[in-house]
Amino acid sequence: MTPTIEIDRLTKRYGEMTAVDNLTIRIPKGSVCGLLGPNGAGKTTTFKCMLGIAPVSWGMVRFDGVHLAPQTFERLAYVPETSMLYEWMTGAEHLEVVRRSYARYDSARAAELTALFGLDPRKKVGALSKGQRTALMLVLAFCTRPEILVLDEPASGLDPEHQRSVLDLVIDAAAGGATVIFSSHQITQVERAADQLAIIKGGRLILEGDLDSLKSSERIVEAIFEQPPTLNGVANDPRVRRIEQSGRVVRVHVRHDSEGFARMLASLGSKRVEILDQSLEELYLSAVASTVG
Amino acid sequence: MPSAFSVDPRSGVPVYLQLIEQVKRLIAVGALAAGEQLPTVRQLAVDLTINSNTVGRAYRDLERDGVIETTPGRGSFVRSNGVVTDVRRNLADVARTTLEHAVREGRTLGLDAQELRALFDDILQRWFPEAQEDKA
Repeated sequence: MTPTIEIDRLTKRYGEMTAVDNLTIRIPKGSVCGLLGPNGAGKTTTFKCMLGIAPVSWGMVRFDGVHLAPQTFERLAYVPETSMLYEWMTGAEHLEVVRRSYARYDSARAAELTALFGLDPRKKVGALSKGQRTALMLVLAFCTRPEILVLDEPASGLDPEHQRSVLDLVIDAAAGGATVIFSSHQITQVERAADQLAIIKGGRLILEGDLDSLKSSERIVEAIFEQPPTLNGVANDPRVRRIEQSGRVVRVHVRHDSEGFARMLASLGSKRVEILDQSLEELYLSAVASTVG
Repeated sequence: MPSAFSVDPRSGVPVYLQLIEQVKRLIAVGALAAGEQLPTVRQLAVDLTINSNTVGRAYRDLERDGVIETTPGRGSFVRSNGVVTDVRRNLADVARTTLEHAVREGRTLGLDAQELRALFDDILQRWFPEAQEDKA
């Protein structure tokens, strides 16, 4: 089936600097993809390229198999990382602009969302806090009941209660068939809302896939030896992502086949071998640490 | 009903597996009876604040395993056919997972099979004193 969002070998160069490097991500309809990566990994640049805000150097982006077109925006909503609001306009005036531009605008939904985030629509953007600006952008994004959502740090600056509201909105939208890509520094949000994961570093994709499958395959094998072991060759095992050793205790982050790898360590003389599950946070840190950016 | 379910998305155990385990457990302890309706995928996703595809995956696996059945337009229900054997099997599944965890923990602490068996007998004796007296 054609993915709803398809980032295909996307490359973005700024002079000598490659911000996004041959990035491919496919997101099927109804899926939520969490985009994670350290600062400067290329997340915001990826979003800008997806929406045609920044010209692409190479590669392409397709929505339901076709290139970005004016019609795409009728069913797409984007929440940028930095405010694209007009300081001198009120929330209500921003909503009016959306109402006039989008046939799908839903005024009841807009009112509901405004109340959800506790916004006063009569206030000018200039008088709003960072969190309130984020909230207003979310209201503008969700009030058209979009089918495709591109959210760049959609909870930044929000208090915990409203961060939770953002999660609810994303989960509810996807349950209703919307396709979402969102970046977040809060791994717990990604862990809850997403079913797909893409981790980028230095503009390159370093880990990607179905979140539950990644948790099943990416595990830690911990072995305790009688003597500090010499693990020649283990580092070259294709299953190994990273090795940590402190004296007699060895922790190996494996990509797959943790059970086979555990048997191998046991055959090297380890008396106790344990396979440990990894939370997304551990998985993320392990993937980022084991990749040269 | 929604309050009966809870998952920990921060755990390393895939969330859909946690859900499958929960449903089996709820059936095993009688909190979900044969023919009883489960929340819709969307409802459960929203209630637990987790991705709906994750819930969908759990329901599909439960259906494949014959634990629930889904009728389009009506919803998902606990299967009524062969429920007694299913419940037995589910009970064993739930207990096995817990025991495995305990054995793994024991082995990590350096106990061998004999020591673990002695501990197990000791605990059994506390919970089933009659059975032990019968044997003696």
